[in-house]
Amino acid sequence: MGMDRTISNFIRALRNADVRVSTAETLDAIGAVELVGYSDKEHLKRSLSMVLPKTADEKVTFDACFDQFFRFQDVRGEVTNDSADSTEQDGEESGEGGDGEGGGAGGDPQTQNRSKKKSKSKAKKNNLYEEEEEADLGPGEVTDAHSPLGKLLMANSRVELAQSMAEAGEATNVREIQIFTQKGLYARRIMDHMGLADLNREISDLRTDTRVPARRLGQQLKQRRDFLREQVRDYVEQQFMLNADVSGKRLREEMLRSVKLSNVEHRNFRLIQEMVYKMAKKLSTLHSRRRKIFKRGQLNVPKTLRNNMSYDGAIFDLYWKSVKVDRPKVFAICDVSGSVANYARFMLMFLYSMDEVMPKVRSFAFSSDLAEVTELFNRNKLEDAISKTLHDYSGGSTDYGQALLDFKKLCLDDVDNRTTIIILGDARNNHGEAHAEVLKELYDRSKRVIWLNPEAKLAWNTGDSEMRKYGAYSHQVEECNSLMHLERVVSNLLRQTA
Amino acid sequence: MGDIEKLAGSVASLQASFEEHRYICSDEIATAVFLAYQLRKPILIEGPPGVGKTELAKTAAEMFALPLIRLQCYEGLDESKAIYEWKYGKQLLYTQVLKEALNEVLGEAKGFRESVQALHNFGDIFFSEEFLEPRPLMKALKEEDGCILLIDEIDKADHEFESLLLEILSDFQLSIPEIGTIKAASEPPLVFLTSNNTREISDALKRRCLHLYIPFPDVEIEQRIIGARVPEIPPELQKQLVAFIHELRSLDLKKMPAISETIDWARTLVLLHAEALDPQLVKDTLNVILKFQEDIDNVKTEVPALTAKIAS
Repeated sequence: MGMDRTISNFIRALRNADVRVSTAETLDAIGAVELVGYSDKEHLKRSLSMVLPKTADEKVTFDACFDQFFRFQDVRGEVTNDSADSTEQDGEESGEGGDGEGGGAGGDPQTQNRSKKKSKSKAKKNNLYEEEEEADLGPGEVTDAHSPLGKLLMANSRVELAQSMAEAGEATNVREIQIFTQKGLYARRIMDHMGLADLNREISDLRTDTRVPARRLGQQLKQRRDFLREQVRDYVEQQFMLNADVSGKRLREEMLRSVKLSNVEHRNFRLIQEMVYKMAKKLSTLHSRRRKIFKRGQLNVPKTLRNNMSYDGAIFDLYWKSVKVDRPKVFAICDVSGSVANYARFMLMFLYSMDEVMPKVRSFAFSSDLAEVTELFNRNKLEDAISKTLHDYSGGSTDYGQALLDFKKLCLDDVDNRTTIIILGDARNNHGEAHAEVLKELYDRSKRVIWLNPEAKLAWNTGDSEMRKYGAYSHQVEECNSLMHLERVVSNLLRQTA
Repeated sequence: MGDIEKLAGSVASLQASFEEHRYICSDEIATAVFLAYQLRKPILIEGPPGVGKTELAKTAAEMFALPLIRLQCYEGLDESKAIYEWKYGKQLLYTQVLKEALNEVLGEAKGFRESVQALHNFGDIFFSEEFLEPRPLMKALKEEDGCILLIDEIDKADHEFESLLLEILSDFQLSIPEIGTIKAASEPPLVFLTSNNTREISDALKRRCLHLYIPFPDVEIEQRIIGARVPEIPPELQKQLVAFIHELRSLDLKKMPAISETIDWARTLVLLHAEALDPQLVKDTLNVILKFQEDIDNVKTEVPALTAKIAS
């Protein structure tokens, strides 16, 4: 197993754990490994932690990943001195996880072996495990093993064994393992690939052999096979932890992106929140680059000179530096009554996670009466502010008309032609007065009015929904009930203002 | 260059040499410098203010006996201040001179077309290196024997400025539209970038750098730092002082005292001929380590408890 291979497998595991690693960084990592080698694990860890993870969060993930990945690497990577052990049982046992168990096990291999076998015989269907116990023949002369795996086991080279295990792992695509319950299946596949069938046949043949050394070989092979089985399970477990567990998370994220936000279970809130942050971050970087920058108030000497060059160096056409950063001014009006509360939660989360590109968000919450909650958000942590908003304003039956009147009274004067008003709500007004004329006024004054409705389009205008009236005075009406919708809306918003 | 190679040959020798220059560094820091030199990669250093990020670059320059070229970043920093600027005055003079000498240049040329042709043939030096005023980044590339380039507080510069740095960081070269590409001298500079994390650095920049995070040091390292920087401090006081600072860092403060504050405090206490910390002394000198009145007020009430704690 080449050096590059090991490192690229490690990087695969890292990526799975959500550490972003580019190809260039992979090359750097290979360079670093060439420089420091595998022998000093701490040194290697320190070195790679400069090259691969690039944020504090990633470093934490990296540390955990490294420990897990290279714990196994110990067994197969480096040739340790005791691989040529004289007391063979001992040598085999100590390979387990490299945690120094070997010393204790070596003292009494017999009992250890028995207890292991008993516990296993229940679990295994393989009839070879149902053999009756026989007296231990103790150490002494043994014959040579014939099956390839038997030879490998008797050769007692941990490195080769681990290598063969890793090869079998590659061949059976153990890294594709997705679900916990597949672990047994993969362990068996790997054993099969390593030649378990031949070994089993040999063991059962040896058991009936008349010669003591041959029977002794059979016993030892059996012990080693059982131990190998443990190791293989361990190996599969490692692979599962490294490769599958987190892609499970990825799968969940993928699903959460398009699931209806009102259906999101409470336990997934944290994950959603992380995703919102991530999406907001992505949008922020995307759009902050698009901002136009002029520098103002300073003479732009180079440009002035260059542009006046054609006038014989006489300077009369001046160029000024100016800064014009056009950030959207957003007013978010959220219906926080029971039916829409969850959507409001995530939209507010989204808007406030983007303060880098949208520092001027003012937010308003209503169910019957409307109030500004901007201050609340500025003073408190995001989660707290959201919970408090939902708690304080979500009582009462929804009254869009009143909410619009309140909004007009509160800050019509602040609405100008650079303002974007986002209204999030299902427009279900309980058959109250719609006051669409207020929305018209806002529509005329503002740059854009965007109405986000979490209901499916089919349900609009049914029952007490006033969507038709309000839709007429909105620049844009969107169905918005998943993170994907939210992302699209916010992205469009930034694109149009930039 | 032999010396540097020997110095940067192993993490241990780097660490020892840093210590000789009174910079006590953890294994992480030494490894970062080692890798940076061996892999020819810039290091991006992040961490709270006052943990010795800038100092690391300065000490490295001293240690390797290389010139230190420093670019302090701030909002609005642009290429004309970081990379190069044309010498406009000279360029203007040149056009004047050229006007005088126009007849010579044109010579026998007749008619407009021929004149333009003659002008074309005349070597144009208007945009050439003679009229180029190198700024820190270009200066660093032109240092024959290599140098230490310190790009300080990159997080203060605009987003766009980071893009300007990408070329020099990955290839040690700069492209100037009018002239072409300027490559580093035989020995590329060793680049340190520091950031106080006031904003996220772009992925593109991070990708090109090694990433070193320097946290507040542990008690043992900080004691050694104080020992190296303020050698005249009594050992008992040194222990108490570091222990006190570590207690402070566990409190909820507006601004944590950093290493630089610990050093200042140690110097102050030495000047006052203190032998050990007592509550009154601490109260009187709190303004050396805490920079906000709010913090000072909060800590003042805690001082007796804290000093009792570290004495036990």
